[in-house]
Amino acid sequence: MRVLSTVKFTLLRMLRNFIVLLLLLIVPIVLISLFSLILSGAVTDTGEPYLKQPAVSLVLCFQLFGGSTVMYMIHSELFTEHRARMQMLPISLTMYAFSIMLCGVVYSVMLGVILMTFTQFVLGLIWEHWLWTIYLITLMAILSSVVYLVFMFAVKVYKTAERLSEVYGIGFILLAGLFFPMPDHAFFRFMGSYGNPLTLSTIAIHEMSMNNTSKAWFAANILLAATIILFLVMMVVGRRRFMRDRV
Amino acid sequence: MTIASMRGVVKRYGSYVALDSIDLDIHAGEIIGLLGPNGAGKTTLIGTLTGMRPFDHGTVELFGQSKHPFSHENKEKIGLVTQEITIFEELTAKENLQFFAGVYGLKGEVRKQKVREVLEFVGLSDQANKLPTKFSGGMKRRLNIACALTHSPSFLIMDEPTVGIDPQSRNYILEGVKRLRDRGTTILYTTHYIEEIEAIASRVIIMDQGQIIKEGTPADLIQTIQHEEKVSFEVTDPERIPEGSLEKIAGVRRVLTAGNDITVISDAGSGNLDRMLSIIKEHTGVLGIQTERPNLEDVFFTLTGRQLRDKGEEQ
Amino acid sequence: MTVFKFSLKRSFSNKTNLLLLTLFPIAFIFFPEGEYWPVLPYGYQYFGIVLLFISIRLTTIILVDRAKGVVKRLAVAPISYGSYLCQNLLAFSVILVMQCAIVVYGGVLLGVELYQPHWLMLLYVSFSFTSLAIALAWISIFRSKESAFLIYMSLVTLLAILGGLLMPLQIFPEALIRIAVLFPTYWLNQGMSWIASEGSVGDFILINGVLWLYTIIFMILGSTRKIH
Repeated sequence: MRVLSTVKFTLLRMLRNFIVLLLLLIVPIVLISLFSLILSGAVTDTGEPYLKQPAVSLVLCFQLFGGSTVMYMIHSELFTEHRARMQMLPISLTMYAFSIMLCGVVYSVMLGVILMTFTQFVLGLIWEHWLWTIYLITLMAILSSVVYLVFMFAVKVYKTAERLSEVYGIGFILLAGLFFPMPDHAFFRFMGSYGNPLTLSTIAIHEMSMNNTSKAWFAANILLAATIILFLVMMVVGRRRFMRDRV
Repeated sequence: MTIASMRGVVKRYGSYVALDSIDLDIHAGEIIGLLGPNGAGKTTLIGTLTGMRPFDHGTVELFGQSKHPFSHENKEKIGLVTQEITIFEELTAKENLQFFAGVYGLKGEVRKQKVREVLEFVGLSDQANKLPTKFSGGMKRRLNIACALTHSPSFLIMDEPTVGIDPQSRNYILEGVKRLRDRGTTILYTTHYIEEIEAIASRVIIMDQGQIIKEGTPADLIQTIQHEEKVSFEVTDPERIPEGSLEKIAGVRRVLTAGNDITVISDAGSGNLDRMLSIIKEHTGVLGIQTERPNLEDVFFTLTGRQLRDKGEEQ
Repeated sequence: MTVFKFSLKRSFSNKTNLLLLTLFPIAFIFFPEGEYWPVLPYGYQYFGIVLLFISIRLTTIILVDRAKGVVKRLAVAPISYGSYLCQNLLAFSVILVMQCAIVVYGGVLLGVELYQPHWLMLLYVSFSFTSLAIALAWISIFRSKESAFLIYMSLVTLLAILGGLLMPLQIFPEALIRIAVLFPTYWLNQGMSWIASEGSVGDFILINGVLWLYTIIFMILGSTRKIH
């Protein structure tokens, strides 16, 4: 398993991409601190801090964009600039692609956990079920990588894949009704609840904190099923793309 | 010992034939200069030889294996210096080399030692812990080469390794190639810079439009076209030389006039320089004389009727 | 006016820009109204953010020209840097003003409640120039188009929150409201509140005046970096 020797360097490369760190860590930290300042100490009727909902949303929202690094790296290494050199290496490129994906997920989850730690220990927000939340962050991170890769494999032009991934991220945030309420229509109701990874994970976290375990698992399992199905789609389109480009 | 061979390899892109029945043998210890203009098929040839691109017809054999020539075992013996600079900008020079060394299975002290050696070899020891973003174009090129050397390949393929760099870095790279040859590395070196091929290659393969049109040592190739001589005279007034007077001299094939320059092409060994000079001096003043020896560019021109490089590409 | 003409052409040259500059603002007309907040429909409340976003997309043309050395080439051509900059900015302004007109008068045509649409148009035009000037100043400190754009978008999010475009200022602590006054987005927000509440014209002039003051300051900052 020589691919394992590359993991350290892939993670190092991700950590040294300061723009990604700024966008996926610093920005949410600043935003959540700002929200904390604005909503200072206010609590809902049930005694839950008002900050809780934006904190959960922010931690999960930024997971929607976590796949961008994986998409960029796999594209440049297996399809464009580094392709020739990588093809000459005595390693399985499929395994190498999976290692990049795994690193991307670990990196994205790590950023999510840093955000949770920051909100708990600096802003005083209590996350009741750490492991459960991390599980959902992980699912969101995997889903994000898978979706971004599906886009990258399925379309010819990389810029189009980038635009589609932006639509995926911003689209689901809009559909979740975080910017303004969506129209009262069956489609929007579905996309604002069980058809939206962001709301599914939010529901799962919320229900678990209310000790509604079955509802929480139900939402999480839908997310898991969607991830598995899209993973299979990714394998098919990825293989087709790889064969098409190998001419 | 034959390191690699291709027999009747054909590669098509739709109706376009990128490689047309290529037959090629590469022997241990050679530096083969693969010469051809842009679009001749050099990079495609490398792609098929290394298994990066499938081909439509023919056979490829690497290290004596024709059934599974592109196995991981064979890949470990090959180093590829890509035409593009394929280094990781987020990793230091040392980390870049550690990455590739690790992929080739080098570990611990052996890896450290090898990385040190290669950095020394390409003259980047002082820059080991710096990110390539701080490097000049030449330094990036050298690191690009270093990445292909960490596993001490016995067969090194260098695809246009000196594109767009300064003369000092170019010389450094060419010297490095010679040192690798002295260590017994077989090298396939592609370029469209003739001077580089003349400086390092033990054998030259000339490609054009997907075909190998000539191969041999640089001296042999030049010999094949050395059946004419070229003498250029810079004169004060070419108009005053009577028309046809130079053409009448024994052995003269053609006379070309451009501005104040008169170029006379004669049969090789015709010994008519003295006669030409006396005719010209009789009618006008001579400012300078230049005799031209053919080079590989002339070989290519003779074979194809085209220049190897556009004027704009020349340095 | 060659630079102006080609600046317009380049702005619409790729599909993404074409969509952003045409369909994207139209979509904002159809955004719903809020129950208690904001005073104007959501699309109009957020349109200021769109203007900031479009401005940076447009001005990166100047950044690319600088990075690729086009500006150096122009320096030896019979055209002054000032003229190059003015013609580019004029082209970008035309695009932004047209977008404002589409959003405001499109809304009027569709019967969206905009209280005083002409004043709203004036406010958006003032803010368009402010956002253009901010974008110009911003790109002057960057070499890479991608970095400039991505970091700017993070900044825009903060500006939008602190200016009260994404959250009602009423829930802000007193100290934060005092800080918010420093941001152009606050004045845009104040302008929109004025339009809904029909205050004195003097207040509206003050709001626009502040936006123009920001425009002048950022324009000076952004135009000082010439070739290198």
